[in-house]
Amino acid sequence: MKQGPSSEDDCFSLLKQFEHVLESDPLIDEVGFIHPSQFTMLDKEAGFSNEFQPNNGTSSKFWNQDHKLGISTDILVQLCKDAKHVFLLALQEYKSHGNACDESQIKNISCSPCIPESDVMKHSQSVLLLSSDFGTAWNARKLILSKKDHLSAFTEELRLSGLILSNSPKSESTWSHRRWIIKMISQSFSTLQEIITKESELVESIGERSKMNYRAWHHRCWLVSYMTIEQVIQELNKSKRWAGLHVADSSCFHYRRRLMLKILESLYVKGSSAYDKTEARKIWKEELDWNEELVERYVGREALWLHRRFLSLNWIMYFACNHSDASPETGESIIMNEEIAIFIDNEIRLLDSSMTVPDTKFEDFQAQALHAAVYTLWLTKSIPVLWRMLEEKLGTEKVKCVLNTIAQERPSLLHHLVNV
Amino acid sequence: MKITALLVLKCDPETREPVILANVSDLSQFGKFSFYRSNFEEFIVFIARTVARRTPPGQRQSVKHEEYKVHAYNINGLCAVGFMDDHYPVRSAFSLLNQVLDVYQKDYGDTWRFENSSQPWPYLKEASDKFRDPAEADKLLKIQRELDETKIILHKTIDGVLARGEKLDSLVEKSSELSLASKMFYKQAKKTNSCCTLL
Repeated sequence: MKQGPSSEDDCFSLLKQFEHVLESDPLIDEVGFIHPSQFTMLDKEAGFSNEFQPNNGTSSKFWNQDHKLGISTDILVQLCKDAKHVFLLALQEYKSHGNACDESQIKNISCSPCIPESDVMKHSQSVLLLSSDFGTAWNARKLILSKKDHLSAFTEELRLSGLILSNSPKSESTWSHRRWIIKMISQSFSTLQEIITKESELVESIGERSKMNYRAWHHRCWLVSYMTIEQVIQELNKSKRWAGLHVADSSCFHYRRRLMLKILESLYVKGSSAYDKTEARKIWKEELDWNEELVERYVGREALWLHRRFLSLNWIMYFACNHSDASPETGESIIMNEEIAIFIDNEIRLLDSSMTVPDTKFEDFQAQALHAAVYTLWLTKSIPVLWRMLEEKLGTEKVKCVLNTIAQERPSLLHHLVNV
Repeated sequence: MKITALLVLKCDPETREPVILANVSDLSQFGKFSFYRSNFEEFIVFIARTVARRTPPGQRQSVKHEEYKVHAYNINGLCAVGFMDDHYPVRSAFSLLNQVLDVYQKDYGDTWRFENSSQPWPYLKEASDKFRDPAEADKLLKIQRELDETKIILHKTIDGVLARGEKLDSLVEKSSELSLASKMFYKQAKKTNSCCTLL
């Protein structure tokens, strides 16, 4: 390699190749880092024989087929360094000279020294594909984008961040940038509904491949504040099947609670009708019944029991009780009525059946007993009369058994929840 | 919830290693560029053989392995093995395996006893899609002819299935069907205590 004053042609050839691949395939939807040994296997999968080299010269650095782009880990570090270096130079150029050019001119001029803006965009894209949490790059893009006024710039930004998420689904900076874009869109354009729907679907598809992705689900919860009630109900229905197939995933149930909370909140807004309350009541009952079905089929899933806490308490406080318009203050004791009594009866029955442990090998049944016990204890904190009902229905021995189960696994919880 | 892999094997006491007659596995959890993609099927086949070989005719057993449960059901030497999510109910899994064996017998009769290689069998893929939801498998329970009273033997680890003194580590090391890459992978994953590679 030639030494001496920066000969950009030699030193940044990797970056140039990378950016060339990106430019020549604008439909790339997935990026990944691959070990050199994977090239042969990927070629085979794509149906290429050993002799045919589709990417001449770049065959061992980049793999690009079917709108997928793989970057060899051999060149990754150097490429990343180059990209950062070139980006920071471009940023400096942009900041010191300002963007004197008109936007429309940028498309026509390809190598004038006066197009720092497109350089910053080009190189920041490169660097973020390699290092998704590089804040300076995201901020540079925000700076430039905040001066744009056409929707296409923002939808393009959604496409890019989606591409980055394909390789880094847990990158908080990327998710945060998407929220910024959506806020910008909501301020100037009105096509938010469809964008929110697509965004929600994106999170679900990412959640499928990327387990325990709190950030993705947090993003989905954030979207709820932009949804209309009709959309909320739609989302509840659309995401139900997925939730039923991922019963160990607490985040998706947390999302459902966020949706249901929004429905609940809408009932206490001026202008809400009795129809709204009936509709909400129906939704709540359905969710409760469905949750019970799941709890009985999928033994020992804590996420389901946690979901039930939310459902039960709100059912008792808002739907089954006799308060017609006013929402009960927290701490106010709940006035027992027939409907609540029937409900609690059912919960006690559920607890009773969960306490039987047919076998201990896989721990699922033991977990079920524990979760049921803890759930019941948690309810007694808001419904003190539940204690008496437990004694009446189950008898002292069984109640002792419930407490023992908790004492064995979560002694500190017992101490906290029971005011002895 | 999903069915990661379904296999049908011939477990002949004369041949040492069970023969794979049909298999299907779901790679959708791995991105295009995931390093695990290439070795995954190898691991599945290795574990399926290991478990099937130690499942005598008439026996049903389930083994917990990382975030999966491996279920095996041997009827007269024809063995169905399923890799499911940890929370896929055990009874539903065996209902499905029973169904797989039933349909296989219908499609192939007893010809499998003379078969020594894997053939594509479309039903397996259909089954792994359809019975992804255990509720579907539970429906089968109602129409399955005999209520299988055989006890399901549960194991917390694969080592639990192996004979006394045998360890998974050494089986991996000695295996002639696992590539060098896979073996190195296994060692590395154990060292870093990482999960989700099936071994």
